[in-house]
Amino acid sequence: MDPHLKKVYVPMTETAFFILFCLREPNHGYGVVQTVERLTEGAVRLAPGTMYGSLSKMEKDGVIRFIREEDKRKLYQITELGRELLQLELKRIARLYQIAKEAL
Amino acid sequence: MKTKKEFRFFSIMEYEQEQDYLRTMHKSGWKFVKVSGLCCYLFEECEPEDVIYQLDYNQDGRAHREEYLRMFADCGWEYLQDYVGYSYFRKPASEMNGTEEIFCDDASRLDMMKRIFRSRVLPLVIICTLVFIPQFLLQIFSFHNYGLAAGFGCLIALYLSHFALFTAKYCRYLRKMQK
Repeated sequence: MDPHLKKVYVPMTETAFFILFCLREPNHGYGVVQTVERLTEGAVRLAPGTMYGSLSKMEKDGVIRFIREEDKRKLYQITELGRELLQLELKRIARLYQIAKEAL
Repeated sequence: MKTKKEFRFFSIMEYEQEQDYLRTMHKSGWKFVKVSGLCCYLFEECEPEDVIYQLDYNQDGRAHREEYLRMFADCGWEYLQDYVGYSYFRKPASEMNGTEEIFCDDASRLDMMKRIFRSRVLPLVIICTLVFIPQFLLQIFSFHNYGLAAGFGCLIALYLSHFALFTAKYCRYLRKMQK
C-alpha cells in the first residue's frame, strides 16, 4: 500500500469512515447521508459540500469507485484498497478502545 | 415588488463575511436575488426570516453541475447562482435541526481553502513576484518614475495583505484541527 495514502486515511475523518463503511454496498452520496443519520440517531449529519468534496477526492485516491449514475446521482462502491484502509482504521480504533477500557 | 441594489466588496477570502451579510439582509426583510457586475447585490423585499446562506468553491462541482447541485438539493439547499468561482446556496433555519452548514468538518473547510488557494491566490502571488516586484524596483532604480513605482508599490501591498490574510486564516483552521 502507498504509504502516503495510509498517512492520509489512518486515522481518518469521521466523514471518510462513514463513506467507506456505507459503500460496502453501492450507494450514492445522499444515500450515505441518510444511512449515517439513521445509524447515529441524528447525531452525525453529513453536509453536501463535505460529501461532494470527499467523494471526488476518495474516487481520485482509488478507495472508492464509480459504478453508475441513477437519476443524476452517482453511485459508488468501496474498492479493495478502501477495504484495507477501513480495516486498518478499525484496528486502530479497537486498540484505542482496548487501552482505555483496561484503564478505566 | 420593491427591490434594491447594494454595492459591497468582499475579497476572495471573505466568503464568511459575505454569508453573514446575506443572512442579515434576509433577516431584515431583504431577500437576496443575485450578485452581478462589480459586487452589485440585488435584493427584493420579503418577510423577515432567518435563512442561512453558504458559499462553496468547487471547480469539480461546477464541471459536473447536475450531480453537484443534486447533492445540495437532496440535502435541502436551494442553489442560487455562481459568481466569480463561488456557488451560492441557502436554506431556511426553520428547516434545520440545530445549525447546519454545507461543510460538517474542518478537514473539508480546509479543502475548500486549498482549492481557493490553488486557483486564485497562488496565480496572484506568482504574478506579483514575477511582474510587480521587478517593475517596482525597475521604476525606482532605473527609470526614476516614482509615480509608477508608487502604483506598483500599492499593488504589491494589496497582494501581500491578501496573501497574509489568507495565510492567517489557513493557519487558524489548521490549529483548530490539531486540537
